[in-house]
Amino acid sequence: MNDQREKREKELERELRDHLELDAEAKMDRGLGAEEARYAARRDFGNTTLVKEVTREMWAWSFLERFAQNVRYGLRVIRRNPGFTAVAILTLALGIGANTAIFSVVNTIFLKPLPFPESDRMFLVARTNNRIGGTNISLPIYLAWKEKQGLFDALGMARPGGTVTLSGRGDAEQIPAYVISSEVLSVLGVGPAIGRGFQPDEAKVGGPSAVLISDTLWRRKFSADPNVIGQTITLGGRPRIVEGVMARGFEIPIPVEREAQIWVLAQVPSTSQDPSNFTFCIGRLSHGVTTAQAESVLTTPIAGLHDLFPKMISADERVHLTTLRAFTTKRAGTAPLLLLGAAGFVLLIACANVANLFLSRATSRQREIAVRTAMGATRSQIIWQLLTESLLLGPAGGLAGLFVCYLSFDFVLSLVPADLAHFGDISLDGRVLAFSLLLGILTGVLSGLAPALQSSTVDLNAALKEGKAGGGFGRKRGRLSAALVVSEVGLSLVLLVGAALMFQTLAGLLRTKPGFDSHNMLTFAVGLPHNSVFGTKEKAIAFYDNFDARLSALPGVQQVSYTSVLPLDQQAPDTLLSVEGNSKFDGKSFDAGFRFINPEYLHAFHIPLVRGREITNADSTDSEPVVMINQTMARRIWGDDDPIGQHIWFGKPMGPASMEPAPRRVVGIVSDVIETALEQTEANSTMYVPYAQTHGPADGATFAIRTSQDPHTLTPAVREILHSLAPDLPLRAPKTMDELVSESVVGHRFPTILISLFGGIALLIAAVGVYGVISYSVAQRTHEIGIRVALGASRGRILRMVLTRGLRLAAIGAIVGLIASHWLTALLRDQLFGISPSDPATLIGATLVLMAVAFAACWIPARRATRVDPLVALRYE
Amino acid sequence: MKERYKNRIELLQGTLDFIILQALRWGPQHGYGISTVIRTNSHEAFQVPTGSLYPALHRLERNGWVTSSWEMAKDKNREFRFYRLTATGKKQLAAEESKWNQLVTAIARMMRPAEEN
Repeated sequence: MNDQREKREKELERELRDHLELDAEAKMDRGLGAEEARYAARRDFGNTTLVKEVTREMWAWSFLERFAQNVRYGLRVIRRNPGFTAVAILTLALGIGANTAIFSVVNTIFLKPLPFPESDRMFLVARTNNRIGGTNISLPIYLAWKEKQGLFDALGMARPGGTVTLSGRGDAEQIPAYVISSEVLSVLGVGPAIGRGFQPDEAKVGGPSAVLISDTLWRRKFSADPNVIGQTITLGGRPRIVEGVMARGFEIPIPVEREAQIWVLAQVPSTSQDPSNFTFCIGRLSHGVTTAQAESVLTTPIAGLHDLFPKMISADERVHLTTLRAFTTKRAGTAPLLLLGAAGFVLLIACANVANLFLSRATSRQREIAVRTAMGATRSQIIWQLLTESLLLGPAGGLAGLFVCYLSFDFVLSLVPADLAHFGDISLDGRVLAFSLLLGILTGVLSGLAPALQSSTVDLNAALKEGKAGGGFGRKRGRLSAALVVSEVGLSLVLLVGAALMFQTLAGLLRTKPGFDSHNMLTFAVGLPHNSVFGTKEKAIAFYDNFDARLSALPGVQQVSYTSVLPLDQQAPDTLLSVEGNSKFDGKSFDAGFRFINPEYLHAFHIPLVRGREITNADSTDSEPVVMINQTMARRIWGDDDPIGQHIWFGKPMGPASMEPAPRRVVGIVSDVIETALEQTEANSTMYVPYAQTHGPADGATFAIRTSQDPHTLTPAVREILHSLAPDLPLRAPKTMDELVSESVVGHRFPTILISLFGGIALLIAAVGVYGVISYSVAQRTHEIGIRVALGASRGRILRMVLTRGLRLAAIGAIVGLIASHWLTALLRDQLFGISPSDPATLIGATLVLMAVAFAACWIPARRATRVDPLVALRYE
Repeated sequence: MKERYKNRIELLQGTLDFIILQALRWGPQHGYGISTVIRTNSHEAFQVPTGSLYPALHRLERNGWVTSSWEMAKDKNREFRFYRLTATGKKQLAAEESKWNQLVTAIARMMRPAEEN
């Protein structure tokens, strides 16, 4: 383009010279002398430079050209002011870095498609009127749906498989597993990275049992040996064929508690009466089939099942298809978006601050601008030139922000709760890169526009006159920069209030009394494989008794308890039951959380017994079946009546196949315990059953040991005992109960820490903003202050004068911020617990913190003002 | 200074374009030639300043109504930048002409209403 431009320029030059020469020749023809003619021609022609310039403006690319010129000029200005440039870029980098980091999370959760081919056709198929809860279905429903042809390319079922014991490969280990039907991989559109995948006979009942393993497990336990394919490994004491290794990071986009490392092929029977409701159904919708069609077709078979399972499936069930993307997005909740909003505030504050920097620099460049205007630059040219500088700084800030984000990335990732980080890794991809650069340009415009508009209106006379630096626009400039500071302070206060609310929520949750004493408790899980050593209930009981006795003998151990599920760790599975001989519940079922315990459980957790008796060792396999219930369950079923001695029957509503052989007698009422989450305001209905009286296969148990010393110091001894009793059994996830409680609030910790961080950054930037404006005004008023001091104003008076000005700005900002908080913190309502979004103490506290910081920011320039020497100040004039 | 030129361009713009296109009707011409043609054909009534003429020529070229090329002049032994009408330029000229005639007729009617009767 430059060559072309040069050619054009030369041609214009020549064209105009020709014009002059032709005119001179014509004038000579009319009798003028050569010298005279040339002079006359030049006079008639006018100002050559100007003619060239206006002509050049007719060329289409002169805008780009002027832009290039502005860029060159802008770069020179930026290079010559390294201090200014550094502060501006650093401020923008903080703002853009915060945004980019959060955006990378939002990008993965909300924007990126799931990492599967044509993932928009992947649906979670659920029923909407599901009493038991969530998206689960039962096997008969899945089988009925599968019979409907032509809707799905593949329809698969999957259910969380808990953990399985992998033995025979070094130390035995509990591996999180997922049970999937053979169609699931077709639904997801992926196959194993190595291996042939599941074989048809393996999917049939009675066929060989097959599994797929994760890349991580393959590398860790099988030394990445490709020959593992086709080999038999021992899982839960049973042989299974490894049919493939999944690609690194593969995950079924319906999260389970622990990321699965093994996928066990389900052998799905052709018919089933199993009412249990633990299955997810996912399908790949065929091309040309709408969700509405699929929903209506799939609703019919459910109605048919109502007759078979009247208690489990109501007559008016409907089917609902949700894309897997929508499902995972919904699980993520609104916290990431709220954080993006908060980060946006930080960026706005940064912009306001940089705008203020530009403004104060424009003042010192006033003479330059005035000179350029006098030389014929138009207002739009000046604006463009100033704007170009900020447009250069913006993207530079964007790049620096990307770097900030890169540096802090691991920290941010470590905060993201595991169930948010699922499905596609959170990374800095092209979209994140584009986002940060776009923000850079945006911030460039945002922070440069107002100062550029403002500075371009210069009073030439005032500015060009020697002397007063204030020139013509000191006042207007002062108003704009005050407005910017006020908005910075206001936005910071909103963030501070938000952070304070979140922080109090978190602190409040951690202070909540869950109904048990979590201090000095060591917990760990022991899984029992279904093999000859532990395969029966009796053997399992014997093992636990033995283990229990050995543990109790350890010094520092007070009580040894074990249960199926620890409170706040996982939700106790709900069990349907009938209440015997109670007219209110006649023919109705009731569901309540079920956990087995040993007799020491209540003592170990310090859970008080309210009425009746506790479970004892006398409640054995042979004795009368008993149960303890919590206060909530007693109240919900019996109200004011006495439940002791009443009978409940587990599984009776589900039909003969699923019910226990006999009803259980309620022997005791236990104080309520928070079971699932600290946010719970009311306890779940919960039942406690002696382990000896449970039915079904021997299960793994989770131990909780009450200690008199730091629980962690016991871990090695516990591991040693377990190893001596059963070398094949792994000690899983040893943790203190306090750690479990703290992990249960991880979903709150993520937004709380980040919002607090943003609040801190915002406060810092706003403080710099206040400091800058007050320093500037002190510098501007040096002369005035000098006169005041000369006239006898005391230092204290000067100090007060400056402080008042700064604090007045901060106070206006605080009021604006409080009003904004009133609207904006309402958005936090979902994230808050035990505190109102308009909690007065929080509002007052945040305002005080803000004012204190503003005071500190004003103090330095105010002190400087008191040290003004009137002699120096007046001589300066 | 620059503002003054610009204003004049704006004032004259429609008319100036028309006059230049009209001057090119008789064949290709260089810038000085165009200004001479305009001056003589208007019996010295129009004197187009160079600060308006050249921007106008370059604008007309950008609009595609005229093209330019460096050609040998018949009477001088050297090349000048010659402008010539393009096909769209001719259409534009015809359109301007009929607009102009309408305007002239309308003004004439208003000035001498009696002649209409």
